[in-house]
Amino acid sequence: MATTVASEYSNEVKNTPIEHQFNPYSDNGGTILGIAGEDFAVLAGDTRHTTDYSINSRYEPKVFDCGDNILISANGFAADGNALVKRFQNSLKWYHFDHNDKKLSMRSAARNIQHLLYGKRFFPYYVHTIIAGLDEEGKGAVYSFDPVGSYEREQCRAGGAAASLIMPFLDNQVNFKNQYEPDSHGTKRKHVKFLTVEEVVQLVRDAFSSATERHIHVGDGVEILIVTKEGVRKEFFELKRD
Amino acid sequence: MNHDPLQWGRPSDEHYGTYNKSIASASPYPSMHTQQPIVTGTSVISMKYKDGVIIAADRLGSYGSLLRFSDVERLFPVGRNTVVGISGDISDMQHLENLLDEMQTENNYDNEYAEDEEALKPSYVFEYLANVMYNRRSKMNPLWNALIVAGLEDGKPFLKYVNLLGVTYSAPSLATGFGAHLALPLLRKIVDSESDVKKTSAEDAEKSIKEAMKVLFYRDARSSRNYSIAIVDSKKGLVLNKDAVVEDMVWGFAKDIKGYGTQNV
Amino acid sequence: MAGLSFDNYQRNQFLAERSKTVPQATSTGTTIVGVKYDGGVLIAADTRSTQGPIVANKNCAKLHRISPKIWCAGAGTAADTEEVTKLIGSNLELHSMYASREPRVVSALQMLKQHLFKYQGHIGAYLIVAGADPTGTHLFSIHAHGSTDVGFYQSLGSGSLAAMAVLEANWRPDLKKEEAMQLASDAIEAGIWNDLGSGSNVDLCIMETGKDAEYLRNYRTPNVREAKQRSYKFPRGTTAVLSERVLDICQVEEETVDIELEA
Repeated sequence: MATTVASEYSNEVKNTPIEHQFNPYSDNGGTILGIAGEDFAVLAGDTRHTTDYSINSRYEPKVFDCGDNILISANGFAADGNALVKRFQNSLKWYHFDHNDKKLSMRSAARNIQHLLYGKRFFPYYVHTIIAGLDEEGKGAVYSFDPVGSYEREQCRAGGAAASLIMPFLDNQVNFKNQYEPDSHGTKRKHVKFLTVEEVVQLVRDAFSSATERHIHVGDGVEILIVTKEGVRKEFFELKRD
Repeated sequence: MNHDPLQWGRPSDEHYGTYNKSIASASPYPSMHTQQPIVTGTSVISMKYKDGVIIAADRLGSYGSLLRFSDVERLFPVGRNTVVGISGDISDMQHLENLLDEMQTENNYDNEYAEDEEALKPSYVFEYLANVMYNRRSKMNPLWNALIVAGLEDGKPFLKYVNLLGVTYSAPSLATGFGAHLALPLLRKIVDSESDVKKTSAEDAEKSIKEAMKVLFYRDARSSRNYSIAIVDSKKGLVLNKDAVVEDMVWGFAKDIKGYGTQNV
Repeated sequence: MAGLSFDNYQRNQFLAERSKTVPQATSTGTTIVGVKYDGGVLIAADTRSTQGPIVANKNCAKLHRISPKIWCAGAGTAADTEEVTKLIGSNLELHSMYASREPRVVSALQMLKQHLFKYQGHIGAYLIVAGADPTGTHLFSIHAHGSTDVGFYQSLGSGSLAAMAVLEANWRPDLKKEEAMQLASDAIEAGIWNDLGSGSNVDLCIMETGKDAEYLRNYRTPNVREAKQRSYKFPRGTTAVLSERVLDICQVEEETVDIELEA
C-alpha cells in the first residue's frame, strides 16, 4: 500500500512507506503458581501450550528444576520463557565452575535473574517469572519478577493467563485475607499459620481445576514441583481438556 | 538542531547546508529487515506411532492465490533418522535447506564416527534450527517458516515444532498452518497422549495421515493433490515417498446440491 | 419507531475514539453443525460462551426454535443470534397463520438473509438453519452479511474447521438417524477438544418429516467437573458484620376486624 508520512515539523510530505511491522511476540497462555511453606516450597504450572484459539500441545512442561534446589518458570511468550530459563541454567553452571561448585542461594539466583531480565529492558522477555526454593535458613522462598526485572520475595504468587483468577483465592486461603475469628466481630483477624505440603498441594489442584473451568488458555494437566531439604519431587494431575 | 523527528541528530541545513547522506552512507530510511512471505508452501502434518514417526507435506508452491510451482519438495531428510518438514516462505525454506546441508557436511568432514556415536540425532537438528529461528526473530529479521522435525532417537519417536518467532513445542501429533486447524483434530483422535502412541501401529498412523491430507486437499484452497510422505521406522529406517497422491475422494453428492437457497433445478 | 435504534451511534463513535477499550459483546466462540440424513436433518452445538479468554457460561443453549419444526444453531454475537431468530420466528408464525400453511424452511432462510443483508453485517449472526416442512427436510447456513449456502453437511463458528474435518472424513450419503447423531456429536466434540472457543456439552435437535422435532439438551456431557480436593466452607462469623442498620421503608399497621356473617 502506498502511504505517506507527514511530519508536524515540516511541510513536505515524505514518501516513507508505512511498514507492516513484524510482531516478534505472541502469547502462549498457561498459568503458574508458587507457594512457600515453612520448610518447603512448590512451583506449579499447567501443561497446555496455546496460540490464539488453538492448543499446540497438551503436555509442554514449563516448570524446571535447575539443581541447587531452585525451581524456575517463565510464563507468557514461550520462546522468551525458554530462552530465559536456558540463560539462567547456563549462568548457574558457570557459577559452579567459577566458585568450586558452591550452592547458589535463592537471593543470589533472584538477583541474577533481575540482571538477565533488565539486560533486555528495551526488547524485553515477555514473561512473568517465578522462582521457588529454600532460603539460607531452610525456609520456603518464592520470588516473582515482572518482565523487566522488578522483583520481590513473597509467600505466594500466581502468574500468567489466569493469575487474576487465582491470586485472590490465594490471598484468602494462604494469607487468610478477609477472614476474621468467629465471634470477634471483625476485631481479630484469623491467625496466619503455615500450611502443610498436603494442604498446599490440595490448594494448588483446586486453583488449577477452577482456572480451567473459567479460562480458555488453562487446562490439560498440572505439574507440581515440590522442594524440601530432601530434594525436588514432581507430581502430575490431569485437568479438563476442553 | 533540526527538530523534525525524521531528521533528528542532523546538523541544521541553515547553518551547514544540505546534509550529505553519502558521508555516513546512511540510508534515508531506518533499516528494514522485515518482510512478508512471497512464494509459500502450506501445511506440514505429522504424528508419532509405536515404532516411529510419519510426516507429510504437499508439493505446491503458491504465489498468493496463483498456483506458481507444482513440484516443490518440502520434506528434507537429515542423516539417517531425521526428516525436517517446512512450511511458509519457499526462499527462506531453501536457505534453511542450505544450512542443514552445511551442518551435515560439517559433521561428516574428517569424522570417522559420523555414522555412529557422532551421527546427527533429531534433537540436535531441532536444537540447531530452533536457535536459528529464535536468533533471527530477535534480530527482527525472521525466517518466515514453521517447521516440524520428525525422527527416531534412541529407539523412541521424536517430534517437535518451531516457527518464525522461535516458539517451540512437542506433542504426539503436530501440524503447521491450516493443518493445525483441519488435520490435527483428526490426528488427535488417534494419538492425543503419549499412551495412545504405544497403541498405534504404523498402518493405522499412515491411514490417518493420508485421510488428513485428503481433508486438507478438500478444504485448503492453497493445497495440491500431490504430496510427499516420509516414515522413520525403527525397523524399516527412513523411507521418503515423493509421489503420493490424494485418493478415494467422494464427489458424487455434489450434483445433488443446487443453487444457494431456494433453487431446486 | 420500528426497527433498531441508532440513537447512541455518534456517542459511541466518540467514546471509542477517546478510550482504548470498547464494550465487548459476548461472543459464542462456537462449534455448530448440521447434517442431513436418510429421512431427516439434525443440528448440534457445543455449550460454551466466552467473553475474551473468560468462559461466561459453561452450559448455554445455542439451538434456537424458529417454528416447532424449524430450528437454528447460532454462532457469532450471542445477542444477535438470539434476537434475529426470535424476530424471524414471530414473523414466520404470522405468515403461516395468514397463509394457513405450515411454515417452510426456505421462508425462514429468505427472511433471515434479507434481514441480515439489510444490516450489512452489523448484526453478527452466523446461523445454520434446518427443519422439516411440507416440501421435505432442508439444511442451510447463513453468514452475517446475508450470503447463504446449501449442503448435506454444514459447520460454522470458531470450531468449524475441527468439525468440518470430521464431517469431511466421515460423512457419506444415506446415513441412518443414529449414524447421523453420532457423526454430528463427534463433529461438535472435535470442536470442544480442539477449539478453545468451544467446550462443555453437546446439544442436539432432530427434525423429520411428519414428526415433532426432538430437542435433546445436553445429549452428551463429556466435561463433568470432578470433586474439589478441599471444602471451602467458612465458620459462621468469618465475615464480620461491622455495623447493622435496619430502615423501615414502609409502615405496616395491623388491625383486627370483626365481621358478622349473616346467615
